[in-house]
Amino acid sequence: MNDTYDPVSGDFEPLLTVTDGEQIDRPSLSYWQDVWLRLKSNTRALASLYMVLALVTFTLAGPLIWSVDPSKQDLEQISQGPGLGQKAILVPDRLPVPSINSLTQSMAEDRADGSGQRLDLLGEAHTEGLTLSWLAVANADSYTIYRHELEPSSIDDLGLPLAQVGPGQLSYHDSLSLEATTYYYSVMPIVAGQPQGYASQRVEVVQAIALSEARYRGLVPEGDDASLLGSTIRLEAHPLGTDSLGRDMLARLMWGARTSLFIGIIAPLFFVGFGLVYGGFAGYVGGKTDNALMRFADFVIALPFLLFMILFKIAFGIGPGESGIGPMLVALVLLSWPATARLVRGQVLQIREEAYVAAARMMGGGANYLVMRHMLPNVMGVLLVSLTFAIPSAIFTEAFLSFIGMGVVPPTPSWGSMCNDGIRTMLSHPHELIFPALFISATVLAFNLLGDGLRDAMDSRLRSDS
Amino acid sequence: MITRHLNRTIRALALCSMVVLAASPGSGVAQDIAVDRARNEISIVMTEEPQWLNTVRATDAVSFIVLDHITEGLMSYDQQNRLTGGVAERWELTDTRATFWLRRDARWSDGKPVTAHDFVFAWQQVADPRNAAEYSFFMRAFTNGEQITQGKLDPTLLGVRALDDYTLEADLTQPTAYFLELVTFISFRPVREDFYRAQGQAYAADVQNMISNGPFTLTKWVHGAELRMEKNPHYWNRDAIHLSAINVPYITSDANARMNLYMDNKIVMATGLDSSATKTAMYNRQKMLSFSDGTVFFIEFNHRPDRLTRNLNLRRAMQAVFDAAELTYKVIGLPGNIPGVSLFPVWLDGTEKKLSEEFPPPVVEIDADKAREYLELARQELGIDEFPPLSLLLSDTPSSIKQAEYFQNVMARELGLQVILDRQIFKQRLAKMTAGDFDMVAAGWGPDYNDPMTFADLFASWNLNNRGRYVSEVYDNHVKRAQSTTNTRIRNRAFGDLAQVIHDDVVILPQYERGYIYVQDARVDGVRRRRFGGDPNYNYAFIKPES
Repeated sequence: MNDTYDPVSGDFEPLLTVTDGEQIDRPSLSYWQDVWLRLKSNTRALASLYMVLALVTFTLAGPLIWSVDPSKQDLEQISQGPGLGQKAILVPDRLPVPSINSLTQSMAEDRADGSGQRLDLLGEAHTEGLTLSWLAVANADSYTIYRHELEPSSIDDLGLPLAQVGPGQLSYHDSLSLEATTYYYSVMPIVAGQPQGYASQRVEVVQAIALSEARYRGLVPEGDDASLLGSTIRLEAHPLGTDSLGRDMLARLMWGARTSLFIGIIAPLFFVGFGLVYGGFAGYVGGKTDNALMRFADFVIALPFLLFMILFKIAFGIGPGESGIGPMLVALVLLSWPATARLVRGQVLQIREEAYVAAARMMGGGANYLVMRHMLPNVMGVLLVSLTFAIPSAIFTEAFLSFIGMGVVPPTPSWGSMCNDGIRTMLSHPHELIFPALFISATVLAFNLLGDGLRDAMDSRLRSDS
Repeated sequence: MITRHLNRTIRALALCSMVVLAASPGSGVAQDIAVDRARNEISIVMTEEPQWLNTVRATDAVSFIVLDHITEGLMSYDQQNRLTGGVAERWELTDTRATFWLRRDARWSDGKPVTAHDFVFAWQQVADPRNAAEYSFFMRAFTNGEQITQGKLDPTLLGVRALDDYTLEADLTQPTAYFLELVTFISFRPVREDFYRAQGQAYAADVQNMISNGPFTLTKWVHGAELRMEKNPHYWNRDAIHLSAINVPYITSDANARMNLYMDNKIVMATGLDSSATKTAMYNRQKMLSFSDGTVFFIEFNHRPDRLTRNLNLRRAMQAVFDAAELTYKVIGLPGNIPGVSLFPVWLDGTEKKLSEEFPPPVVEIDADKAREYLELARQELGIDEFPPLSLLLSDTPSSIKQAEYFQNVMARELGLQVILDRQIFKQRLAKMTAGDFDMVAAGWGPDYNDPMTFADLFASWNLNNRGRYVSEVYDNHVKRAQSTTNTRIRNRAFGDLAQVIHDDVVILPQYERGYIYVQDARVDGVRRRRFGGDPNYNYAFIKPES
């Protein structure tokens, strides 16, 4: 058996030297790049991010583009629905109301032709006012004038009772919140305490504006008054309509957003920042200090917000008629930080015990290094998430407080106070409630969804998924 | 301050519960419908819980409504709202004395007779400063009344005597033309001493602590939720009372909720409809009625020497830009309201015609240029460069805030004056008004009795309700002139002069005279709407026979 193999030295030559081990052929991603990637792939979060950006633009740049004074009252266009500028005819400031005696005289002559019409419109009918006249009924004690938006069907369905006038008066001037629409006027004579039939008249009312008002608002050029009267001009446009005092809804929403977002962003920044420092310190130091600090946080969390808001308002010497935004900010900051502090403390306690922290400490890493290199970057995720959730809740608090009248003072708008104004006309003019309510809901939703997305994106356990 | 905020919060929360309450069906089958023919009962709604059903101390409108059904004074109003005898069968009024002869069949709800002593006791209680009755000033009409209300004399010295059980005599300090109208007021209703003393602090706090002499008695009072009034079998004029009971199954201050209750056939009348409720009514083709409650609303200036508003030219400037018609027609925009022109509302009677026709109030010219001249004068007189913000005190209700925002805008736009709004709940507003803590206040004044004097003496220097402390010898003299006589001609002339003084001195800026739009069930008739006492009144209401 001499077939045994004798190894030679050549057999022990090393294989090829591998200079390149593993090769990274994709660009290296930092944690934040990774987060961004994942956030981008989350359509819902991305959409809400765009929405937040749009909102910020709306708030900051909006008033520059739509430079309408939010407290300007356009009494010609009260509670107007969304739309572009209406056309209006120019009318004299004070309508010459025909004198009643001469009127009845001329009316009686006019009607001698037997037209049989018992109620007539005198002159033009426009939103600044209109005059009605009727034929006298024998032995009438008084006449009641009604206005309806539907065609009257019976004597019990004449609409709004506008006025009751004495027997000597045979005309009535109506200027009660007229809108450019069709009205049915009726007059009902009362004879011996009993209504005696009625006469109706359909009246088309056109939008009008008094000349001096139009001039004040710069809608007409300076010049000859007489030639301008009767001409048609375009009134200010109100894309989202007006409120019950004729104030532009779009401008109010923009300015209201400033109040809402100011509170919504500044307050969380402060209290999340404070919570970070407080919770971070408690967690890092640990022991008795931690215990004492966290018990204090528990105490603060138990304090009722509304009560403190009121106390701060008094303590600050905020007089009646002054804005409650300052105390609201202080109350929010002073009472809302414990949630963040707890979160951060828990996170820091956990990180403190991690092996890499222990290693860093053994290699001589100081407190500053540990905090800046390991602690802070690792709590950043939960911090951002808690910030994005704090913003909508602060906006909501502001809206709620302004709704119950503890926030802004008139005429400063805020979404909450606009809702409060709008709720009164919810049935007749729903846009006054819907728009601010929509903005509150959309903002709160957008921030919540964004927070949701951020939380998902920052969860390191999901890191390998992308 | 705290009360105010909490109160508002509580109200906001209460509103939520109210909606729930209104949505849930009524508690009993019998109270579920507006008109119950079988039981001869009707159901009504109230805007809030009656605060105080003690005639001595009641001040709020809702308490007045209830009290006007369950009590009756010496004088009363009949089905047509004409003055008539109540407990008094006969009466005699001279310049210095009023005598009433009481009917022998007037009974309390426990069957005991109503006597003159009950009135003497009641009026002494109202005058007694220990009761702190807000209407104690009415008792100054009687001899010693003023000293008693100031605590200087014992209430038993009030110039009112019971000559016997059925004869009452009162000594008047001055000729009081409207005295008979005055005694219809709630504060003049009788109180029976033995019952009052037996109840002590609990008097009128609940159904069992009350005794009535009116057409109805209160038989159920679930605080904050429900009331029921049943016909008083002992009432002397019981044959004229048709209803067996009046239920109040709902209490809500929300006009839309009231309108919905009406549409659901739960109540017979929905009053105080706002613009959206009137729209609902219009599109449901409901018959709408209007009613003027006689209250005048105005902006009152603070005339105290430490306030800028003491300056006449500043007030004139504001007067010359404030357009009451625009406020009434465009901003308030509800029918029934009339633009205010004077302290004296248009419905007040004059000698033959209406007071406003006999003495037309001076017309305010709206003139912005002139206003700015006045303002410039005011600036020089006051020696200031810039006007600091002026405060406007107002009630914390949606409608008054809206009106104040309009006022704020007009002053800023036309005069460049900054007005800050001081919103307070009603009680707090009254407290601040009394303390003089305001530059301007949006106030209102409702009539207490049917005579222009109920408005005229409001700005007399001695009147405690003159919250702006307006002091004018001329004004006082006109008031004294009207008080010194029962001659209507002289009195009305004095009222006309007062209207002129108020205009010239710009004591107030009249805003509007309040009116209401309401809907009423066609099956019910005989409901009275009134400017004095409790409104509405169902004492003589009846269910129309089925046709």
